Amino acid sequence: MADDIVFELLHSEIINYALDQSKDNNNDKKEVDLSVVEYIGFAAGYKIMERLTREWPRFKDELDTMKFICTDFWTCIYKKQIDNLRTNHQGVYVLQDNAFRFLTNFSNGHQYLEFAPRYVAYTCGLIRGGLANLCINSVVTAEVQSMPSCKFHIHVQRT
Amino acid sequence: MAVCVAVIGKDNSPLYIGGIGNDTSTDNELSRQWLVHTALDALEERLASTNTNNTGANTNAARTDLRDLYLGLLYSTDTHKIYGYVTNTRIKLVLVTSSTSPSGSNIRDAEVRTALRRLHALYADAICNPFHLPGDQITSLKFDKQVKNIMLNNV
Repeated sequence: MADDIVFELLHSEIINYALDQSKDNNNDKKEVDLSVVEYIGFAAGYKIMERLTREWPRFKDELDTMKFICTDFWTCIYKKQIDNLRTNHQGVYVLQDNAFRFLTNFSNGHQYLEFAPRYVAYTCGLIRGGLANLCINSVVTAEVQSMPSCKFHIHVQRT
Repeated sequence: MAVCVAVIGKDNSPLYIGGIGNDTSTDNELSRQWLVHTALDALEERLASTNTNNTGANTNAARTDLRDLYLGLLYSTDTHKIYGYVTNTRIKLVLVTSSTSPSGSNIRDAEVRTALRRLHALYADAICNPFHLPGDQITSLKFDKQVKNIMLNNV
């Protein structure tokens, strides 16, 4: 659908813009600073969560919240659900998406694999922001091993 | 119907307190804040009992759905009744009605529930205002106007 692609294009342009900015700021070519993109994701996740959970009954526990992230939250943003959710029941959750929306437009081989982390920074922020608004402080990292699939690791910070 | 409506943040800081009717004078500003803040303890008590619901044996039949966001009547004083609502994001919404005025005294629970749900919708909209920073007081005039409307319309 044409209106879906707009979000993807905007997203990739924001990443290009952030890369240009970080290149201007420090001449060290190796370092790529995507904290801006991560922050944009955080703010968006924080705000959208208020809206999404409006009609939802109160969450029973942390796992219940994660299930919400995997189903409704993901459907709202990526038009599909998370394919696999794993947890060690001690605050680590691994969400696996076998066809991550921002990566499906790339070739499946190793051609762009080194650039893939750029395209997951926004989503890491999105998850972190959403959880932050639900009073769960976390660190979210992502891992891309083979092309359209992506794993998000959520480490809940206990106080 | 309502004389006062308040939005309280995650850390119990007031994000918005608005009042109409006979209570708008500055003297009553303080009493409004007092009413709302006394409700916070009751709110937290309710939330705590929601969380430990399966361990505690005191099954309260009156509270049918413990996972409901609307918490119902928190408590009533001689002059006011205080209703609470806590969102999934731990934002507390408090609505105060006057028991002395005819419109406030015989208000139905369902009406309050609808009003608080509408308030929640307004809050979700206000949060999406790009000029609003999370955790700040809500200064949006539009929000203020719409909340006043909720308080008046439901007479």
